[in-house]
Amino acid sequence: MAKKATNKEKKNIIEVNNLIKKFGDFTAVNDISFHVQEGEIFGILGPNGAGKTTTLETIETLQKPTSGTILVDGIDAKRHPDDIKQRIGVQLQSTSFYPELKLTELLKMFAAMYDTEVNPTEMLEKVQLGDKAGSFVNKLSGGQKQRFSIATTLVNKPIVIFLDEPTTGLDPQARLNLWQMIREINNTGVTIVLTTHYMEEAEQLCDRLAIMDSGKIVATGTPRELIENLLKTGFKKEIVRKDASLEDVFLHLTGKELRDA
Amino acid sequence: MHKVKRPGQWRAFLSMTYYALRAQTRNPATFAFGFIFPVVFITVFGLIGNTPQNYTIGIPNTSVSNNPITKTLTGQSFIRVEQGSREYLEGQLRVGKIASIISVSRSSQNPPRYSVSLVTTRANPQQSAAVTTIISSVVDKANLALSAVKNPPITLSQQEVAGRQFRYIDFVLPGMIGFSLLSTAIFGVIFGFVFLKKALVFKRMFATPTKPLTILLSQGASRLIIVLVQTLLILVIGVLAFKFYLPQGLITFLEILFLSAFGLAALMGFVLLIAGFAQDENCASPLANLVTLPQFLLSGVFFPTDSFPKWVQPIANNLPLSYFNLAVRKITTEGGTLADTWPYLLGLAAWGIVMYLLAAKTFKWE
Repeated sequence: MAKKATNKEKKNIIEVNNLIKKFGDFTAVNDISFHVQEGEIFGILGPNGAGKTTTLETIETLQKPTSGTILVDGIDAKRHPDDIKQRIGVQLQSTSFYPELKLTELLKMFAAMYDTEVNPTEMLEKVQLGDKAGSFVNKLSGGQKQRFSIATTLVNKPIVIFLDEPTTGLDPQARLNLWQMIREINNTGVTIVLTTHYMEEAEQLCDRLAIMDSGKIVATGTPRELIENLLKTGFKKEIVRKDASLEDVFLHLTGKELRDA
Repeated sequence: MHKVKRPGQWRAFLSMTYYALRAQTRNPATFAFGFIFPVVFITVFGLIGNTPQNYTIGIPNTSVSNNPITKTLTGQSFIRVEQGSREYLEGQLRVGKIASIISVSRSSQNPPRYSVSLVTTRANPQQSAAVTTIISSVVDKANLALSAVKNPPITLSQQEVAGRQFRYIDFVLPGMIGFSLLSTAIFGVIFGFVFLKKALVFKRMFATPTKPLTILLSQGASRLIIVLVQTLLILVIGVLAFKFYLPQGLITFLEILFLSAFGLAALMGFVLLIAGFAQDENCASPLANLVTLPQFLLSGVFFPTDSFPKWVQPIANNLPLSYFNLAVRKITTEGGTLADTWPYLLGLAAWGIVMYLLAAKTFKWE
């Protein structure tokens, strides 16, 4: 997990400085600055409404910043959004594909949108959907949808991919499977920026984190650094010893072990 | 220091048009609105138009059978005769099933004298009037013949000018093309568009280097193809099954296709206005009906706008679909050239431009 956590020689592939994004009177992102290093898995952790998605979409050039600068691979997001789009892959929060097109057709269409061509079967096999080539997105399970969505982010051989809450709503097996896939993609040299509100995901999957709340970044660092910083302040986790759990109550009443349904 | 290959828009445009078309052909709504409805409508209206005008007269059992009047009348192909008791026929007359009751009685003199009694009703005034005229002319002729008038002071000569028999299909088919055009544009495109917007399909496309205009144009192009196929289908069925009249054959055919493309381009203004403004289907639905219903009723799809009261006509004649219908009828039923349709094309273009300008102000991709 700590394969490159302390590698300081990596260059910054994303630099965000004093980014502000307002929608009317509402400030979604309030003066944030952070950077993402080449080759890492960077997580933006925060509760719903913290501004994670807006931050992501502003870097993806889907939204225009109100003020501040964003550089992706040294390219200014305000001045050359199309050049950035050409080098990144984007997964949105919900499945965002024509319901009437087959997976292979969607991949071919996305490739054409980058003025390139792909081998759709090969791409589907990469995300373990080789047998679903003729399927429609709506017929896929939650985990399969996310894997397909990730496949579409790879058609243009991006240097960074952005995943907005990729594991939200997935069952534990599907989540572990997706983590594995994200690590595999990362191992091919693709930098990954993702948002999440799962602590476990942030800790297990991400090399570095930014914690967001109410449009602000309240902390950045590796998961270990963040934990150590907290402990340095003298924080002690309150340990509650329960004499019995609800399960004990249940078993006491029914006299049977819970069985796998 | 970032030189990347600028992606061309052409491949993206072609591919997106193709796949948008592919998606639409797999969508049952497009299929129903675009192809099934027009075919059903055109078949129904084609069959209505083929029935010639008939008049039914009633002859009671008490009427004498062998007389010159009813003999001449029943010999006409457009007269149908219903026989029965007087009470029965009066009942039929009152509900407008028959146009009149004609009863002939004969005196026992030699040569016999005939008296014709005619009963009409207000239940069916046009038919009654027509039948009354026909019968009095038959009676007049018979009188002249029986009075042995060889040289009447007034003679009537009739001359027929060569012309095509006007059939309902020739009127209604251009209307059906307009009707299908509007329903495909409004219902097919608006709802499709709002769905793609809501499902973030467009947003996902914006994350690629393809330009929004390319995305919009590819959407337009795929709908255009659907509309042209639809027009083609209506025309082919009209010509083959119902002998729809194309004054200049293939040229008229191509001109109608051109008008359909022009009409769609103008109506797309409405579509973009509603689709760009509406956040979801619930919002789009009343707006779509607001645009389509008045046009279906008022723009002369099924009957000419002349039949409306005077004050409605300025409205009815200036709706976008009216302009389209008038333009197509100009080159079909009226036998004009494409150049003659310019006032209507101008009217359509004016609507289109106003709508596009409004849409440009209110359009939202999300």
